[in-house]
Parts: sequence; C-alpha cells; structure tokens
Amino acid sequence: MLRLKAGRTASLAASGTSVRNVDGEAVALTVFSTVRRWGLLELPLFFLFIRRGKNSLSTLRQLSFIHAARWSLVRRLPANGTQPVIRLRFPHLYFESNFNGGWEEYIDAFSYVLTLGMWGFWGSSYGFPRALPSGPFKQYIRDNEFDANHYYSAYPEATATVVLSALEIAPKVDALRGQVATMSAEQFHAAWQALLTDGQACL
Amino acid sequence: MPLTCNTLGGMYALTVFTPIMAHRLDEVRAFLRGLPPQSSPLQRLEMVHFARWVIVPDFVSAPSQPRPEHLPSPYLLFSATFDGTLDAFLDDLCDKLASEAETIWGCCTGAPAPACGAALKAYLKHNQIQTGLFFAAYPDASVTTVKRALETRSKAIAFAAQAQTMEVQALREAFIQEFAP
Repeated sequence: MLRLKAGRTASLAASGTSVRNVDGEAVALTVFSTVRRWGLLELPLFFLFIRRGKNSLSTLRQLSFIHAARWSLVRRLPANGTQPVIRLRFPHLYFESNFNGGWEEYIDAFSYVLTLGMWGFWGSSYGFPRALPSGPFKQYIRDNEFDANHYYSAYPEATATVVLSALEIAPKVDALRGQVATMSAEQFHAAWQALLTDGQACL
Repeated sequence: MPLTCNTLGGMYALTVFTPIMAHRLDEVRAFLRGLPPQSSPLQRLEMVHFARWVIVPDFVSAPSQPRPEHLPSPYLLFSATFDGTLDAFLDDLCDKLASEAETIWGCCTGAPAPACGAALKAYLKHNQIQTGLFFAAYPDASVTTVKRALETRSKAIAFAAQAQTMEVQALREAFIQEFAP
C-alpha cells in the first residue's frame, strides 16, 4: 500500500490512474464522450431496456469490483447568470464509476464481460473503437477521461466484494448475538461452527 | 416509465454540472486540491457513499466528429452517491458543508452570492443532470449499514482466529464478551 497521508492510503492495486482518482481501495473513473445524433434515441431506449429487464443488471453485478456506476446523456447546459441556455451541437455521454482494483484490469473486464453491452453504451459515441480488442478501447477511455480534483469514499478500506461479504455475514453474527444468552455452551459451539461453515466465503 | 432515473433501492445518484468563472478557475482548483484526502469535508455528510469534484476544462472532441464542440467556460462536475432524498441531501450539504460549498460554488457563474442556504440548493438543482442509468452493487444498504457490517465482519474474523484454540465453555463466554451489546 502506498501511504498518502495519515489514515488513508492509495492501494497499489489501483495503479494505472492518477492518485487523485483514488481513496483507499476506491477508484473514480470520470468520462465524457461525444455522441452521434442517433444516440439521442438509442441511449435512452437502451437505458430503459436495461432498467426494465429483470436480469439486465446481473451482468454488471458479475463485475464484482464495481461499487456504483452511472450513465447520463447531456443535451443542453442550463442558463446561468449572463450565460444563456446552450443546446449542445452533439449530445454528450457522461459515465462515472466507483470501483476497486487496477484501472487496466477494470477496463479489460468491462470489455470482455460486457462486450455486446459496450456497443449499447458507447456505440453511438464518436471514436468508439469497439470493446475488443481492449487496447484501443482503453486508449479511448484515457483520451476522454478527466481526473478528479477531490474524491471521497465513506469506507475507503473496503472493496465492493468485502462490502457484499460483510452485508451477508453481519446479520448472521447479529442473529447469533441475539440467541447466545439462551444457548448452552454446547449449543453455541455448534451454532458458531455452523456460522463459520455457512459464511466462510464471507470471512 | 420515465427515461431517466436517479434512484436505485435506497440510493440516489446526483450529478451537478456548473460553469466556472474563468478568472476564478485557479482559485477553485487550488481549493479542491488542498482538501485533505485523509479528512475530507465530505465525511461530515453521513449519507454519502461516494462523491467527487472534477474540473472539466473543455469537452474532448474525437477526430471523427464533424466539428469540435467546446464548453463556453470550464465546468465543475460534482457527483454524489448517497442515501435518501435529494432535498434531504442538499439541505445537509448546505448546512454541514457551508464553508466549503460557499468557496467552491462561489467561483461558479450564476451562483448566488453568498453561495449558501436555500439559494445554493436551488442553484444546484437547476444545474442537475438527470441520470440515464444508475447501478449500485448494494442499493439497499445505507452508509451506516455498510460501516456497521464491515465492523462486524472484522470482529468476526478476529474472533474466529482466536476461537480456534478455545474450549467449548470458553468460546461462548468469549463471544458474549466480544459481541454483547
């Protein structure tokens, strides 16, 4: 681990990106891409299709190193002060991810696991080179990525897998805590062993 | 079904994109870079899972697009993944992050002067980008739930290591001592 300052560290596993995109195990990815006009129709429908599909998000869940991600289509910039509303000549696709692990491995996994889905997300973007091979796609993301000026994770020490494991095992420990007062030593021993066996993948 | 959706489970995905006054770009950049990573002011917002500020100097134009497109000025992107409602979050931000928020968004075009309170909340809402698709690996777990679960898991791992050599009677007593409320 590379110590940044007292208390928080940047994981060496997160190498491949600016240290400003890193908080402990968590890594920020921020990307804008320019979208062809037909993306104005394709992207909202694709997002809707994924949101409505019962198992559409399950592929993203296979990418077990993602805490959270989002895609947004930007078509106009609101008026502010003396600046009038601006309707963009080309819509822009905003993508952000909060993940853990190496930047290169993250983009590789995206390319290999979401190969077809990648076209749905970025097929309408100018310059998108296809998901595979992953080398040109990595370069595409690098070209369109912006480094964070400040990035924060509420639990920087935890990977997404560790969070999911903790959320699975904690209720079982809590249940045992609630029952221990009424258990004999032998009963508790058996229950503890069962918890370890049942939850060993989470520990 | 709407074409945009900012929520998933109990989580909300907020994205705000505000123009920075060109002559104050260096000021806001220096301020954001000076925020200590080990004690981020965002820690005060207990409902926030992840957040970032990103200065976007201009859009990147792909060589294949017909014409380049430029932002009228540098923009500040703020995004947060948090528990609960947008109103509750923005109220919390304007309250607990008042000093930092005033400095940061005070550098933005059209922001209220001073950039605080209800006026800042309205400004941030005005510049919100609606989310097309939001994914969260554990959408129903609040920050409090996640932190507590991580603590319980750590204690369980440590206890499991210690328990390997314990007698049956001692195991129960040690568990009560370790995990009793």
